[in-house]
Amino acid sequence: MTALAVPEAVVRRSATWVPPTVVVSFVVVVVVLSWSLVPGLFTGQDPARGVPADKFLGPGGAHWFGTDHLGRDLFARVVHGTASSVTSALIAVGIAVLLGGLIGLVAGFLGRWADAVLGRLVDVLLAIPEFLLAVVVVSALGFQTTNAAIAVGVSAVGIFARVMRAEVLKTRRAVFVEASYLQGGSRWHILVRHVLPNASRSLLSLGVLQFGYSILLIASLAFLGFGDPPPASDWGLLVSVGKDYPLAPWLVYAPALVMIATVLSVNRISRWLRRTD
Amino acid sequence: MNSAYAKYVVKRVLQAIVVILLAYVFTFVVISVLPGDPVTNTLRNPQNGFTEEEIGRIVAYYGLDQPVYVQLWESLTRFVTGDLGVSLRSGLPVSRMIGEVVGSTLVLASSALAVALVLAFAIGFGTQYLPKRYGQGWLRAFPSLFLSVPNFVIGLLLINIFAFQLGLFRVIDAEGGWATFFAAVALGIPVSARVAEVLIANLDHEAGQEYTSVARSRGLGQARLFLRHLLKPSSLPVVTVIALVVGELLGGAVITEQIFGRTGIGSLVQRSVTTQDLPVLQAVVTLAAVAFVVVNLIADLVYPLLDPRVKLGEARVEVAA
Amino acid sequence: MNNPRTFRMLACLAAVVVLAACGPGAGADAGSASSTPKQGGDVTFLIDSLGDTWIPNNSAISSFQGHIWGHLTDKLVYVDEKGEVSPWIAESWDQNDTATEFTLHLRDGVTFSDRTPLDAAAVVANLDIWAKGDPARGINPIGLFPKTYDHAEAVDATTVKVFFKAPTLGFIPTLGYHGSILISPKSIALPAEEQADLAKDIGSGPFVVASWKEGDSVVLKKRADYDWAPAALEHNGPAYLDSITYKIVAEPSVRTAAVQSGQADVAYNPSPQELQSFSDQGFTTATPRYLGFVNGYAINTKVAPFDDVKVRQALQHGIDRDEIISTVYTKDWLAPESLFQSNVPGATDHSKDFAYDASQANQLLDEAGWAKGADGIRTKDGKQLELTLYSNPYLATSKSVDELVAQQLEKVGFKVNIQSFDVVTYGERVKVGSPSVAAYEVTRSFIDAGTVAGVLTDANKGENWFGLGQSDQKLVQLATGVASAKSVDERAPILDELQGYVLQQGYFVPLTQIVQRIYLQSPRLHGVTYNGIAYANYYTAWLS
Repeated sequence: MTALAVPEAVVRRSATWVPPTVVVSFVVVVVVLSWSLVPGLFTGQDPARGVPADKFLGPGGAHWFGTDHLGRDLFARVVHGTASSVTSALIAVGIAVLLGGLIGLVAGFLGRWADAVLGRLVDVLLAIPEFLLAVVVVSALGFQTTNAAIAVGVSAVGIFARVMRAEVLKTRRAVFVEASYLQGGSRWHILVRHVLPNASRSLLSLGVLQFGYSILLIASLAFLGFGDPPPASDWGLLVSVGKDYPLAPWLVYAPALVMIATVLSVNRISRWLRRTD
Repeated sequence: MNSAYAKYVVKRVLQAIVVILLAYVFTFVVISVLPGDPVTNTLRNPQNGFTEEEIGRIVAYYGLDQPVYVQLWESLTRFVTGDLGVSLRSGLPVSRMIGEVVGSTLVLASSALAVALVLAFAIGFGTQYLPKRYGQGWLRAFPSLFLSVPNFVIGLLLINIFAFQLGLFRVIDAEGGWATFFAAVALGIPVSARVAEVLIANLDHEAGQEYTSVARSRGLGQARLFLRHLLKPSSLPVVTVIALVVGELLGGAVITEQIFGRTGIGSLVQRSVTTQDLPVLQAVVTLAAVAFVVVNLIADLVYPLLDPRVKLGEARVEVAA
Repeated sequence: MNNPRTFRMLACLAAVVVLAACGPGAGADAGSASSTPKQGGDVTFLIDSLGDTWIPNNSAISSFQGHIWGHLTDKLVYVDEKGEVSPWIAESWDQNDTATEFTLHLRDGVTFSDRTPLDAAAVVANLDIWAKGDPARGINPIGLFPKTYDHAEAVDATTVKVFFKAPTLGFIPTLGYHGSILISPKSIALPAEEQADLAKDIGSGPFVVASWKEGDSVVLKKRADYDWAPAALEHNGPAYLDSITYKIVAEPSVRTAAVQSGQADVAYNPSPQELQSFSDQGFTTATPRYLGFVNGYAINTKVAPFDDVKVRQALQHGIDRDEIISTVYTKDWLAPESLFQSNVPGATDHSKDFAYDASQANQLLDEAGWAKGADGIRTKDGKQLELTLYSNPYLATSKSVDELVAQQLEKVGFKVNIQSFDVVTYGERVKVGSPSVAAYEVTRSFIDAGTVAGVLTDANKGENWFGLGQSDQKLVQLATGVASAKSVDERAPILDELQGYVLQQGYFVPLTQIVQRIYLQSPRLHGVTYNGIAYANYYTAWLS
């Protein structure tokens, strides 16, 4: 939707040329994904056990991000907290895409009363502020990171359903679909061959954007204390615990910077993807 | 006012009412799944040393031992007559609790919206007129950056710099001028990104139109060109976005109010969730939905009058993400 | 009441105070005895929360609202931080030989702030509502009020007789407990919805409510005609301070930073680990201990492997309490000597029974048949030696303590899991005696050590902390002895034996003496007193 910091002429220079900011973004995302898959490769320190005598050490050679109030290595805690911070965002996006996509598909494809009923449901989901809805759902499910992810996913269902429905309607009205109908194509055939492939493209690009947004929302819920409790180390929780120790500001800034870098990179990539489409 | 428009109005108003009632039922069902309630919870504080039998008797007084559908029916009939019930936590009427804090949130949300609009238009203007070598490109990356920083980090940072380092405001005087301003900045920054994105896209579109280059060749001043030929046509979709960000302002207020220590709807939500104060949570969520529905209803009703190209009954421009 | 002139004066004063407020003060010592108290001034007290409801019976024991009630209301007796009971509204009292009948002689001329007299009839109304509550109106009884209460009657305007079904030595001290606040009978008669409005809860204390806003703040102003303070406070007449503002600030770091920069006078519950740096900067820190149980685990003996006394003792000796104090707390915290805080009258030193000794813990576990595996975790019959700790949400440091205890116990071969829940979920899932909760973390204040009789067994609806029921004959005998004692002297040796027995058996595993209320205070504030439940009292306080 939005143009990016890349001059038009440069893009035209070569189809395979990738802007440096995008390269950096990919590097950040790859590093973060590896943190979440094999945290042990990146840090030898134990995220849950510390050396009490070493509490509140500033960032340095031995502890890249410093240590916390129990003498635990903050870098290890950030790295080990990646898995739940990032995978939970994937769960959220998955729920939003599947559930929202299904509702939109059914509403758009069947039309009539299905559209009317699902349309009102979507209206309700959209009418309740997203974060408020997530807070209510997570408190109903219990304060855990997985539940926070489900809540964030549910709160985005409305948007995905609406986009999917619009895409389905657009495709159904398209000339080639009308033609397929006239040639006696079954509804199922039209759905699988024409409607789904067309609609899923815009749903996926929305999904990538939602991924970065979900990381932030889940971190916000963790910040409010609605995620896993310590010794878990979700990024939002690290910031929330760290802010209680103003004498050790790295406890806030280190996890915050990691979070910003990750989301910024994801957003950058999603924009670049849409531009090259 | 033709009859087609009148029919459209009636239809949209009815739809809005249905959505509000459904939102009420939906919220009730979701929060009824909540484990426990504040009454039982206070009683279980180990300091009390109450037996389960004593606890049971008091829980019965609050009607919390009734089946969920009975509670829903009673609560819904009260809601229709405008009665929001009594808080299970504080024992005060919910309407009184909301009434006490709603003003603070309205001030915060409207200031944040103002901040967001100023920022968005500044960025929008810059992307059209700032020479490329002075970082127009970077300016275009701003909305993306704003959307990547969690608003609690912005809040903590602003407090740290302006309250603790510079002493510009007192954190304990959360409703003061500067305190409100910086809270509005923290809340407004992510919102400004959404508005700016739509604005830039539309400005780019308009800038590519023929009449704009004609105007430009006529030697119209940059600022006048921006105002007259770019801004006006671009602002209609922006109105749509504003209607949509109402929810985002209310949701973001939960975190902003907590960080800045403000007493508003957001902090009320936070307290109600942690203490499972169902009637308050129910009322706030429903009222947020009402606010959203009403603002969008107004936008829907005004839109066809402003722009004849919009067909009645068609959804407005989709502005997803 | 809201005289505009007074208000203007208050406003001016507030302005002066703000202007005078400067950074970290020079002269640090707050308690300099030589200076004389000054009249006037406004204190701002930053607090994490103001609790839930203001219905007096339902909120009086709250760690938060207790601060406000302590200034709005009086009690029948005063209990100081050493547990010593002295006269207040009750000028004197006597009891019969079996401690089942008490007579209270009330002070004359005391009035509630609505001008109604605080007389015998008012005291009877209060005693009844404390003991029984009014479930039909949604009013709870107050926690820990003796369940042996029968009835009370007003003999004349200043004499009340109170009757119990069984010996109740703890009755008089309980009158100084934070739940036992005297409220105007008119307020007591209001429906719950109106009692929830703090402005309608009328007390007889040195301060009255000036204004309040739910979830935000409570402003108290002094009552000019107050003249019935307890002698123990060594101050008479109205308070020195004009007003106290209790303001909610959820973030601990914001609370302390505001006090550091002179924007507020007191910050409640700062992080213990930062106390040292605050006192280095010249601020006053206070860590009063309440009377009660120490922070520790009540072990459920029904849960394997803690049915084995050796495993319980290994737990007892496997915890390094000094390391907890030096890591999570500061030297202001004291190591436990018993299951009671050491300032409780009747508490005796049994620290040898649970001293840290990792080799002894290892030996005990070896003897019990738990063998160490390659990963350092002990197993027996294919089962791991496992313990789950549930952090107590009512104590901010509990998570950190549990995380440290887990590290210590892992060294002697336990596999320790930590679960921490918010208050709501905790209340649902973590209960004393639940089969999944082997170690229940206790944080409980009381006024009289006799309370212990009600938690050891399940006799008389006892809380049965250790899951023993009445199977441990010795424990039953000791509990009965404490409960039926007719005098403190008769009770003392039984209490001593009981403490030793509970600790040797590993029924209760102490962690540290508990400080649940921590204060960071501006050096300008002097003369603050702390009562037996560790609440700060600003009746005697003044600003320099």
